[in-house]
Amino acid sequence: MAMQQGGILVCSEDQQVLGELLTIGRELATQADTGLTAVVTGKEAQAWAIDARARGADGILLVNTDASEATSAAAFSVVLYEAIQAAAPTVLLVGGTRVGAEIAARVAQRLGVACASDCMSLQIDGDGNLQVERRVYGGRFVARQVVCGLPRIATVQAKRFARAELMDGQAAAEIIEIEASLPASRVRTVSVSPRSQSQEDITKAEVLIAAGRGIKRVEDLEILEKLAAVLGGTMAGSRPLTGDVDWLPVDRRVGLSGQTVKPNLYVACGISGQIEHIVGMKGARTVVAINNDPKAPIHAESDYSLIGDLYELVPELVAACERARADGG
Amino acid sequence: MTQSDETTQGINILVCAKFIVDPNQLQADAATGKPDFKRAAYRINTFDENAIEAALQLAAAHGGKVVAMSLIKQPPPREVMLKALAMGISALYLINDEEGVAADALTITQVLSAATRTIAEREGVAAWDLLLCGEASVDDYNGQVGPRLGTALDLPVITYASKLTLDGNRLGADRAVDDQSETVEVDLPALVTVGMEINDPRMPTVLQIMGAGRKPSIELGLSELGDLDRAALAAAVPLRNVETFAPPSSRKQVIIEGDTSQEVVEELLRRLGADGEVAF
Repeated sequence: MAMQQGGILVCSEDQQVLGELLTIGRELATQADTGLTAVVTGKEAQAWAIDARARGADGILLVNTDASEATSAAAFSVVLYEAIQAAAPTVLLVGGTRVGAEIAARVAQRLGVACASDCMSLQIDGDGNLQVERRVYGGRFVARQVVCGLPRIATVQAKRFARAELMDGQAAAEIIEIEASLPASRVRTVSVSPRSQSQEDITKAEVLIAAGRGIKRVEDLEILEKLAAVLGGTMAGSRPLTGDVDWLPVDRRVGLSGQTVKPNLYVACGISGQIEHIVGMKGARTVVAINNDPKAPIHAESDYSLIGDLYELVPELVAACERARADGG
Repeated sequence: MTQSDETTQGINILVCAKFIVDPNQLQADAATGKPDFKRAAYRINTFDENAIEAALQLAAAHGGKVVAMSLIKQPPPREVMLKALAMGISALYLINDEEGVAADALTITQVLSAATRTIAEREGVAAWDLLLCGEASVDDYNGQVGPRLGTALDLPVITYASKLTLDGNRLGADRAVDDQSETVEVDLPALVTVGMEINDPRMPTVLQIMGAGRKPSIELGLSELGDLDRAALAAAVPLRNVETFAPPSSRKQVIIEGDTSQEVVEELLRRLGADGEVAF
């Protein structure tokens, strides 16, 4: 079966993110007047193919791998490389997860082309190149960049675009199967464990109380939990508290390597405001920062800043809320 | 370990370190809205400090040599270079790309992959056992150079390591990927990228920084990189920067002050109440 050459190719190891890529991929395909193809692989490949077709892909490239499944970025990048050889896309979009970032970098290097990372907006310019915007320098600046080369490769910020809707009617896209043989993995997996998960989804919370490095001990989180309780909020955290220390479940992490949140009120406690964090909380309606460092970059990202010791200010704030409730309630 | 290398016992590690403008101190020029690089302070990329620290800890436990390399367009401030040396690396190689040929992760990787071999020769190392990189640089935040360099050198790559252990020639790593934690292992040589979780980088004292002036920092021009494929470098089409600008901030940026903590928090509540964000 002849594969349509050229066009937009989208690929992610995460099905939700693949659906997001179909949204932005469709926009680019319309701009370039070309087709949109999704790459799928693995045990669930058939189901993913049908889902991607129902979400608007014009073509599906299903990559069969002989023995093992592509689970590592190394193996997945081989799958994607073969898909690129078959489809010869002009643009390749990869989901901006950690695994996706590594897949894209590996494939781009193997092809000897550039790649724009973690893009928040993408369009085809007049020359047919890919023009993107990405956050740089601590999230306080935006760089507008142009990706040339063939294919033009970009990773797309996860959750930046809504997942493409399931479409009514008959989806006619063809599913084309190709083979890829995976090399023996030189990195051996000893064990895998899911990271701790929480009951609440911080992306849906209206009030978030976020803890950062200013919290010295895990038991001190209780100070913030009291504030969360009195404000009807949910606890979140920056990367230092949701990384290896796991003081908070990793799905409570706000930032580049975590969740993107849009609460009405975001209270950043002891968070300095590195790019890693800022990218995740830019969409909050009102931001309060409590930090003892007047130079911390979080203040530039806040509506209201309290400069001082959070160990003193937060309990004081809880007490003030309780007084207000007693008076007003 | 590298068997043919008789001069050094233990593990030979090359760390990729980037000297960057500190994003936390980079301000927008009031007139243009563009970053004001002239007034910005330099630093070692934070994740690269983690990489240096991880390398030093491995070498301290198992013996060996830790050397760092950095691709530069102009020499970084002396005190920033000295800090890298003072952390404990034995030499710092500055790959001077004064013409700015290496403009993105693709072209940077082309230069760095050639530099690994030149520096190995200079250091009398047959081949590096381990290449260590930060997971990204906090200025451009591409996160590409580590996996690209591993691909270019055909090394196994472990990204986002949060713990490293060495047993003979076998390197074990814990890594945090999107929704799972993994423990993996690899036979050296390998390339590993590390995040902030792996350690707290040491802070050299003023005395150590002053003493580091005796350690070698060696500048290499691109012409001194024997393996550099100049034709490939010239043919590469790098990511092109059109402009960098500060998006307009919609934040009020009000610092709430008061004589007592109680006054401060009550003023905050009053303001949040007026904005409709809290109601009791």
